[in-house]
Amino acid sequence: MRRITIPIGPQHPLLKEPVSFLLDVEGEQVLDSVLRLGYVHRGIERLAQERSYVQIVHLVERVCGICSHVHTTTYCKAVESLMGLEVPERGVYLRALLCELERIHSHMLWLGVLAMNMGFDTVFMYAWRDREIVLDMMEDLSGGRVSHAVNIIGGVRIDLDEEQRKDMLARLAQLEQQVHRAKDVVEHERSLRARTEGIGILTPEQAKQYCVVGPVARASGLDMDLRRDMPHLPYSELDFEVITHDAGDVWARTLVRVLETVESVRLCRQILENLPDGPVSVRAKRRAPEGEAVTRTEAPRGEVIYYVRGDGSESPARLKIRTPTLTTLITLPEQLRNVAVADVSVVLSGVDLCIACADR
Amino acid sequence: MTARRDSAVDLPHYDASAIEQQVVPALQEAFPDDIEDVRAMPVDETVVMVSVAGLREIVGHLVEVLNVPHLSTITGQEVDGGVDLLYHFWHGSGLTLRVLLPLDALEIATVTDIIPGAAFYEREIVEMLGVTFVGHQDPLRLFLPDDWDGPPPLRKERS
Repeated sequence: MRRITIPIGPQHPLLKEPVSFLLDVEGEQVLDSVLRLGYVHRGIERLAQERSYVQIVHLVERVCGICSHVHTTTYCKAVESLMGLEVPERGVYLRALLCELERIHSHMLWLGVLAMNMGFDTVFMYAWRDREIVLDMMEDLSGGRVSHAVNIIGGVRIDLDEEQRKDMLARLAQLEQQVHRAKDVVEHERSLRARTEGIGILTPEQAKQYCVVGPVARASGLDMDLRRDMPHLPYSELDFEVITHDAGDVWARTLVRVLETVESVRLCRQILENLPDGPVSVRAKRRAPEGEAVTRTEAPRGEVIYYVRGDGSESPARLKIRTPTLTTLITLPEQLRNVAVADVSVVLSGVDLCIACADR
Repeated sequence: MTARRDSAVDLPHYDASAIEQQVVPALQEAFPDDIEDVRAMPVDETVVMVSVAGLREIVGHLVEVLNVPHLSTITGQEVDGGVDLLYHFWHGSGLTLRVLLPLDALEIATVTDIIPGAAFYEREIVEMLGVTFVGHQDPLRLFLPDDWDGPPPLRKERS
């Protein structure tokens, strides 16, 4: 059979963000693929060199439209360690609360996208309906559904009163019910399993070689989670399980993410129940001294790493960002090899791509 | 769902104290001539300054002998006297290998045959800083437009 090359993208038929794939196919089989990024490259790293430390908080919030809070958290942690600031415990807990709410939001959004791309609209609608609970919680907490602008250098700008705290606990209970329902669907629904099992396989060896992170790595048997492995507050005081699976296919990724959502609900509850008293932030200086720092955070898609170098002025000399999607994108040619053309959409959804993050 | 299969693959076990207590001393012992300096960097990072010629071998030793396979990313930046490359590894805590390339010889051996996951990081540095990775199989444009003909965007502007 003749081998032909099909270009998909950059205006993508199934992703909302621009990325280009060249699929080399023979009949219904994908033999190879080449990908090209950069269609939403905004030059954020270069821009940061021209902005002040305070302005950059808002800049990095726009790296990602889903896990915006994780980016500001990672950035603020780096700058705080340069400036020698210690964030009060209550501030640290509130940061983590939003990180976990964001993880729930991200995983439920993703479940909807996966379901929609495999033609399972019922799950898509349920997942996105239930995601509204967590979006409402984040809106009440911060005023924004996706861009929260909660982090400031030195802590957070929000606080909870007792009534809000109780209200959030009640809504978490409602959310937990819905998450368990999604988990049942993923575990038992035959059509979902038929579309996802044995597809887009990444073996543990490949996951290790490609330095994959997050749920994709955990679904391929790599037992890594920065919340547990780099024990900082508040995670060092909280009880949660790191979910791993060894199948390495799209179904394993689905299961890992859904079970992680259950764990995140548990984490939110523990944070709300053990919220320390006190201030939520400390005052920060405008300038950071000469020095450098590296921070890593477990985002919904895995390890985010920031490198910041200060030169004593009001702007950093270098800000480097690596988002988790960049580590999973590179594995796509492996995952797409010998997959049927009809399953390409499932494989692409399965890794949870965030192209704008990868481009920066 | 935490069951783990005993597979043939030697999966790494991440440990927050391993870098400082085992990995760095092992590297210092194996490469006394190529390791120039070791110091700490916030948060949880150990920085090891290595020679340009020794980097590839050290990375190989790190991945294949010491089983520290996870390269988080490579940071490139122009500093006084050259382009600084930071290979950020992670194994429960951070390990950064740092090399300084002089401006008149922006060349270093690729590590993509040891760590296939480094391919995009190297390609980004090729585009943004104009460094050549000798032996990289696929140094094509990844982020910049095809018709970009300006200087590498993260290099300092000179008049």
